[in-house]
Amino acid sequence: MDLTPRTVTEPGTQPPARKRRWLPILVVVGALLGGGVIVTQFLTSAIDYYCNVDEVGVRSGCSGERRMRVQGVVEQNSVKHADGGTTFTLDFNRKTLKVAYSGDPGGVFQECIPIIAHGRVVNGVFESDRIEVKHSNQYVEKNSTRIDASNKEAAACSVLKG
Amino acid sequence: MARQSGTGTSATRRLGILVILMLAGLALCGLWFSAEDVVQGSTVRIMYIHVPSIWTAYIAFGLTAVCSAVYLSGKNRSLAWDRFAGAAGEIGVLFVAVSLVTGSMWGRLTWGTYWVWDARLTSTAFLFITYVGYLAVRQLGGTHRQRARRSSVLALLAILEIPLVHFSVTLWRSLHQEASVANPNAKVALDGLMLFSLFLGLVAFTLLFVWLVLHRQRAMMLEDAFSDRGLDLAITARRNEAGA
Repeated sequence: MDLTPRTVTEPGTQPPARKRRWLPILVVVGALLGGGVIVTQFLTSAIDYYCNVDEVGVRSGCSGERRMRVQGVVEQNSVKHADGGTTFTLDFNRKTLKVAYSGDPGGVFQECIPIIAHGRVVNGVFESDRIEVKHSNQYVEKNSTRIDASNKEAAACSVLKG
Repeated sequence: MARQSGTGTSATRRLGILVILMLAGLALCGLWFSAEDVVQGSTVRIMYIHVPSIWTAYIAFGLTAVCSAVYLSGKNRSLAWDRFAGAAGEIGVLFVAVSLVTGSMWGRLTWGTYWVWDARLTSTAFLFITYVGYLAVRQLGGTHRQRARRSSVLALLAILEIPLVHFSVTLWRSLHQEASVANPNAKVALDGLMLFSLFLGLVAFTLLFVWLVLHRQRAMMLEDAFSDRGLDLAITARRNEAGA
């Protein structure tokens, strides 16, 4: 039996040219580029120091007027809305920091909830342009027979501080 | 004569019915019977999809790695292991995507933002990209055995990301909350029916994964057989030409 390479020349009888699979190659290249972008974005965002309230002005990287992320708990009865902005006090390890935010924080922002504020300290006040609300890993059923609307915030406060 | 159609068997059909019932039960528990969270309100219901999705993705990628290791270490190197690895990888990518989308929605409603370059979110996105790359590498061409060898090596490297994703919330300061059930303190932080709904979601999604992976690997077996048949036909044609 002869299985040596053939020399077919008639039109229409040639085997189809081997197709290179471009789509998987493009996806692999896209995945490599996407991975690079993800790592770069993570490292870029990590440039802003992540400080607790009690570390502001104390820990290296958390002092001066440099941009940072500050974590703390919104102090009870400290939230005030005025002129389109929001002011409140952040509390952590018995240290406090006044925060002025240019807008209305979204999410489940409320008193006694932990947040992360992005910004910088100016004249002793943390001027923030971005707020992210943290929520704890505890999930408590809202039970109308146990907790009514009037003490909802107090209940949330006890959950978060407890 | 029994007629075989599709990739199902009586066992997978029974499993499929069970999955449908469990998903219906999850919808009822998650949307109706379980209470709102005292802080997050109804938003908490996203958890019943978000957490089972990433849990299933972990299982899927774990299976991909195990099957890849068995393929590489086995003496006969059965391609069935490679097909299971590929099927689990595909479904794992799907579930990570669901987890990212639902997590983003949950983040908007609770954190106030769809996305932050936080350790947990970033590592999960990286995991997604890695396994999309794994699936693309499987499609690069060559013989089935070349496909199996290169993708098995990649799967064994990619699985190393899973501990990084899971423990990212404890390794770095993170906006994402720590685990409520599988945490180092072994302290469950969910009230009664919330915990049940979450558990039901985990079981339902795991069974859904089993159902999907069984069908997908059978479809892959048919694809491989079809491709092999094409090669056999080409060789037969050449032999016929040579003999003519």
